[in-house]
Amino acid sequence: MTPPALRYDGVSFTYPDADRPALDAVDATIDDGSFALVVGPTGAGKSTFLRAANGLVPHFTGGVFSGRVHVDGRDTLASAPRKLAGVVAFVPQDPAASFVLDRVEDELAYGMENLGVDPAHMRRRVEEMLDLLDLAELRERSVRTLSGGERQRVAIAAAMAAGPRILVLDEPTSQLDPQGAEHVMAALQRLVHDHAMTVVLAEHRLERVAGWVDVAFGVDEGRVFTGDPAAVIHRLAVGPPVARLGRLVGWDPVPLTVRDARTAARAHANPVANGHASLGQTSGEVIVAANALEAKHAQRRVLRAIDLQLRQGEIVALMGRNGAGKTTLLRTLAGVHDVARGSVIVDGHAPQPGVDVALCPQESDAVLFSETVEDEVRATLAARGNAHGAVSPWLERLGIVALARQHPRDLSAGQRLLVATAAIAATGAPVLFLDEPTRGLDPDSKEHLARFLRSHTADGGVVMFATHDVELAAAVATRAVMLAGGEIIADGSPADVLGDSHVFAPQMTRVFGPGWLTPEQVAEALT
Amino acid sequence: MTSTGVASQTRRLGFHPGAWICWSTCAGIVAFVTTDPVYLLLLWAVAWFVYASHRSAGATAASFRIFVLAGVLALIVRVALVFLGTVNAANVAFAAREGLRLATILVVFGTFNAVTDPFAVVRLAPRRFHEPALAAALALSIAPRTVASVQTVREAQRLRGINVSPLRSLPALAVPVLERGMEDALTLAESMDARGHGGGRRTRYRPQPFTPAAATIAASAALAAGTFLSASFGGWAELHPASLARPEADPLLLVAIAVLAVPGMLKGERA
Amino acid sequence: MSAATIAPVASTRAPRLRIAALIVVNLLGAMAFLWPFALPALLDVTGNEEHRIDGPWILLILLVSLGTLLFLELGRGGLGPKAVALIGVLGAAMVALRLPGFVAGFSAMFIVVLVAGNAFGPSFGFLLGAVGTFASGLFVGGLGPWLPFQMVAIGWVGAGAGMLPRDGSWPVRIGALAAYGFVIGYAYGAVLNLWSWPFVAGSSAIGWDSAAGGIANLRHYVTFYAATSFAWDTFRAVGNAALVIVVGKPLLASLDRAARKMRLHVAEPITRQGA
Repeated sequence: MTPPALRYDGVSFTYPDADRPALDAVDATIDDGSFALVVGPTGAGKSTFLRAANGLVPHFTGGVFSGRVHVDGRDTLASAPRKLAGVVAFVPQDPAASFVLDRVEDELAYGMENLGVDPAHMRRRVEEMLDLLDLAELRERSVRTLSGGERQRVAIAAAMAAGPRILVLDEPTSQLDPQGAEHVMAALQRLVHDHAMTVVLAEHRLERVAGWVDVAFGVDEGRVFTGDPAAVIHRLAVGPPVARLGRLVGWDPVPLTVRDARTAARAHANPVANGHASLGQTSGEVIVAANALEAKHAQRRVLRAIDLQLRQGEIVALMGRNGAGKTTLLRTLAGVHDVARGSVIVDGHAPQPGVDVALCPQESDAVLFSETVEDEVRATLAARGNAHGAVSPWLERLGIVALARQHPRDLSAGQRLLVATAAIAATGAPVLFLDEPTRGLDPDSKEHLARFLRSHTADGGVVMFATHDVELAAAVATRAVMLAGGEIIADGSPADVLGDSHVFAPQMTRVFGPGWLTPEQVAEALT
Repeated sequence: MTSTGVASQTRRLGFHPGAWICWSTCAGIVAFVTTDPVYLLLLWAVAWFVYASHRSAGATAASFRIFVLAGVLALIVRVALVFLGTVNAANVAFAAREGLRLATILVVFGTFNAVTDPFAVVRLAPRRFHEPALAAALALSIAPRTVASVQTVREAQRLRGINVSPLRSLPALAVPVLERGMEDALTLAESMDARGHGGGRRTRYRPQPFTPAAATIAASAALAAGTFLSASFGGWAELHPASLARPEADPLLLVAIAVLAVPGMLKGERA
Repeated sequence: MSAATIAPVASTRAPRLRIAALIVVNLLGAMAFLWPFALPALLDVTGNEEHRIDGPWILLILLVSLGTLLFLELGRGGLGPKAVALIGVLGAAMVALRLPGFVAGFSAMFIVVLVAGNAFGPSFGFLLGAVGTFASGLFVGGLGPWLPFQMVAIGWVGAGAGMLPRDGSWPVRIGALAAYGFVIGYAYGAVLNLWSWPFVAGSSAIGWDSAAGGIANLRHYVTFYAATSFAWDTFRAVGNAALVIVVGKPLLASLDRAARKMRLHVAEPITRQGA
């Protein structure tokens, strides 16, 4: 009988300088050839759990470690991570930061060079990896020029080139758009089903993954339990919208995919088709007006003939695939990107960044430079000439008063976004833009953000956010605008715009038809 | 970010960098041992010819012009220094020739920089220096990310009302860039550790072969340098003409310099 | 909060021998810069009266001594992924700073070496200085025989920064670093100029005179220096000090935090039975 791929025996681990253990008496077995999901709230210990698989915990991190982890029969405590490189492959969350060399081919070979594999063998393995992950045409390219999905596949190939049978991935799709994520998941699926690999991955965005895995490990406050994916997800109260719906209306088993949900819906209930009018049209004053707007980027026309008006009180979701021009549109409306033709008027004049319009960029961390959260907000106030203004109101609006004296960089990704948003909102600008705010965000922070967006617009402001997160758009937006190839191809209520699209329809729409956006809506109608 | 065309991003492999290092060292030696303007100016032409035939598509190609400019500047400075002492025609001519020599060395290295690919040079590093060489390669590949980071941060700060300029609010620019770099360093170190870095004996994937063409370049350059060195030690030709005399041009030495143009006549390796 | 130190894994050879070798080699390196004063009469290779500095031999000797220094320092191995990654990222910053083409040479590049050297220790400071300079030379296409000199010189700048106070109060730490940065601005320029002096000034009135003694040469050099790079170096010295004062503290704080987060002080993992 084949030994398990990974076995954790009574593993406890505390990081140096930490007061609480990150892992607490963990027992887990991952069988050879399985496709395992590790799931849990942010900060629960998923990353630590994964890094214990190849010895990064504790060799790379230091700390206090007890128990044993055996990977493919080898004791991680007895071997440093570099010795296990041929046994288990580890792929971190942001592949772009983990590349060592420049050309794809060289990157694939790097791991094998480290292990002293002979050149002839290396050549063969590199070719195999290129085929396995569908990278053959990219072999000579510089890794810097690849798209997100391609980078992730290269990272996987590079980690696997040395021949390990076990692949561990930390949130592989969190930085990807829906199409890129699909490609990566399909590749992983192939590896498990056709090539007998064992794949263990941690994921937040369960709607992508839930249907594909065999077994799940739930991590909560350092403790780990296992079961079949539906049960684990249910127990942790996380999951895709269909799972939330299932919990709300008490379906058992809780559905994980759209298909499961349709089956359950047929069996249990059938709400009125095409229910629900759009979430209230606002007819406030026009604050931002773009007229025949065109913008260029590196000699290419990125925005064409954009006519757009944003009114007070609106929360607008800007959607579209990567490269459609969402970021450029936000930046042009904010006044930091040059207008090639046409005009942008905010409040009667050209937009003044930081005064009329504020924009929270995709990498929201880019604004954080102070020692405490308070100071961060204060810095904005000072820049606006209001150095002694009150800081706490801004923290309250984002629900982060408790974090006031903490160092922003010590916080979780979601909390950092909230701090950045507070710092940006503190400019007092009525027009707020956010570029992909919910990338990799935990549900709590999303909730705080949604609340803030509503309160900001209730006070007469207007918000537009670019996103791939269909569910967020469905939950909070009053209007949806779809961008493709630099042009607006749809503009209307979320129910109409999202309901009409195959790619961007939220799960509720896919199950129950147009007009149904959120689980809460549906649950209300069903009960 | 979407994929773009292949052609603009592939790397062309020129000759083995070792051949170029040999060539530029030898050409540098030739320039070093003489102040005869005939030889030096001919060497300029040769360097330009080799540059024109093999300049890489990368940014380093622009450095040729910079080196030429630096050379001219050095020449001017050298001549200007004469005016601090006794000024006469002989001294000025002498200074001009010394300046020309220095400028020629710079032009030779201008060619070297323009024809080599920085990554290829780093890849050459012997196993013993693998880690510093890797660090250098990393610095090269991460640099564009850092530059992009600076632009992102500057714009992000502007959008919240903080205008960063070299003297104002510099921490608002420097700290986020550094922090992001540090996070990247952590991810990178983890990844390297997980992929076996530092685990003993290394092998090399597809090391660039030292082709006969590269060997020809190296050998011919060595020949040229050898000829000049022999003239320098053996004294069978005048390498340093007296100040105002007509410079000589020994035919054998002229041929030696012409031999340095060999790389320009060979075709580059696979594109 | 004590600062972290990154040093390569200790070599297995006797530490005293190692330190002795290090001293000797650094002296050799110093010689490579200061030879115009120290060597009174050098062999005149061509016998020609108008030329005293001649022959590639001198350059060869210089390069060999610097090469040995670099060889020993860079060839130690045992850096490990964390140090390599840090040098890569910080080196990238040095490369990036070279781009805007600062008028006074690579002034801004210094701040990285100063700050990182102070945060991570002299060993790391030297490595970062040398490797970062090399990379930045590669990037802008500025490779040439002067590179070993630059690498060693900036390496020394980094090493020196690592020997300044690192724990204790901020004003002391920043003050010392700013003062160091100021002095270095001149010292670096003066020392590096030394390399080019015999060749640029040649046998002019303020050139190197192998027949004259050390003092006379020193006078010649001072004049040369004043005429050529004094102005730039003032710019650089003031620039360094100013940068340290303006961004030194937040940058050092970031690096110290990064050192903690990266667990640079990774002790052997402590294991416990039971539980």
